[in-house]
Amino acid sequence: MEENYPLAKWLSGEMTEAELKEFQAQPDYALYEKIKKHSSSLEAPAFDEAAILTSVLNSPKKEVKTISFTQHWLFRVAAVLVISLGLFFTYNNFSAATEFAENGNQKNFFLPDNSEVVLNSGSEIQYKKWNWESNRTLDLEGEAYFKVAKGKKFEVNTALGKVTVLGTQFNVKQRDNRFDVTCYEGRVKVNYNQTEIVITKGMSVSFEDGKMITLPESTAQNPEWLSHELAFYQEDLEAIVGEIERHFNITLELKNTENNQLFTGIIPAKDINISLEILATTYHLKPIKVDSNKYILESLDAL
Amino acid sequence: MSTEEISGICKEAVFSTFFKSHAKALRNYLFYKFGNEDQAEDITQDAFIKLWQNCADVPVEKAKSYVYTIANNASLNVIAHQKVVLNYAKNSGKSELTNENPEFILEENQFKTKLNKAIQNLNETQRVAFLMHRIDGKKYAEIAAELEISVKAVEKRIHLALVELRKEFDHFK
Repeated sequence: MEENYPLAKWLSGEMTEAELKEFQAQPDYALYEKIKKHSSSLEAPAFDEAAILTSVLNSPKKEVKTISFTQHWLFRVAAVLVISLGLFFTYNNFSAATEFAENGNQKNFFLPDNSEVVLNSGSEIQYKKWNWESNRTLDLEGEAYFKVAKGKKFEVNTALGKVTVLGTQFNVKQRDNRFDVTCYEGRVKVNYNQTEIVITKGMSVSFEDGKMITLPESTAQNPEWLSHELAFYQEDLEAIVGEIERHFNITLELKNTENNQLFTGIIPAKDINISLEILATTYHLKPIKVDSNKYILESLDAL
Repeated sequence: MSTEEISGICKEAVFSTFFKSHAKALRNYLFYKFGNEDQAEDITQDAFIKLWQNCADVPVEKAKSYVYTIANNASLNVIAHQKVVLNYAKNSGKSELTNENPEFILEENQFKTKLNKAIQNLNETQRVAFLMHRIDGKKYAEIAAELEISVKAVEKRIHLALVELRKEFDHFK
């Protein structure tokens, strides 16, 4: 059924005679007539047709460069920033992170799960930040002390062996051919070649050139190197010299030394002179200072 | 592209004629819509600039709906809707002025002011249709084509506009 709009018909003069007569008889007719009359004399604001036509015709015939928001230079700068930030964070998360302590320095840092790591001088750790919580694996070269937060399996890989733990504190040292692990809290599983050994609080285990050395239980709370002491258990002169070199960031040269004695003990390492003196006394050496970074240790036995 | 095709709306004379017959109506239509004279003018100008630039792609018979579509799209972004302020032509009712008494003239002026306000208060679609008819003198069919609605819908809007306006004068003697 079609709607009828009589007022529209009347306004456009489409009413039939009869309809019109009927409508005129209504009391509202006068009002509508007035509205019709006055609305016809309404005017819109003036419009400068000629001026606009001229400017339209003079507009460049080529496509107007409307600088939309997407093309605005600020937008581009922002886009570049967002993308590079995104790339940066992606790279940061997916690529291996590397922490490195130079000779003469120790470095303390936290892993993404808040596990604490202290790197001894001349050591390096590589790990992946991405998905760290469920894949706690890192590669170690050198020596480091770990305070592992509770969580999933925590793995330290070195060139010589692998250490696996749950939440605990332990020290891993891998230098040349020697691999030392000391546990300060909890349990640590050490893999070396085919051997697998579990050590608990206070226990240490060392491997040198494929042979296992069992160390006496220690009561230390932390590895000695954290308090600037160098602890050795049945280690040869070369290993000790290497440790001192790394700790003080110096070069030591051995002259005429054929002493193969193994050293067990703690050398304080706050002062280079004291450390060298102890070493010299023990091994019958004479330290000669070449410059501030270089010493020669000459054997007194050969003289 | 042959020269025959270029002879369409791209010809300056053809374009000018087209502009003169539609630019003002388009501007008015936009003005009735959101009441902002400057923006209505800008949008009108932009729509015709687009037509002029793309004249080769727009057949003459499509040109009108082309500019209305562009203007309609552009008017979606109009921020400042204002009251649609209209004036009465100065010579309106001149014949009556001479032989009517001052009281009548005053009453007429009051009526006009009230009518103007009532039109401002109409809803957008009713106001646009009503003013396109009253001011631009367009036929319902033309309005329907420009608004892309049916003639019946235009009639409905006009009818309802009149009913609304009538309501405003309920208490007018």
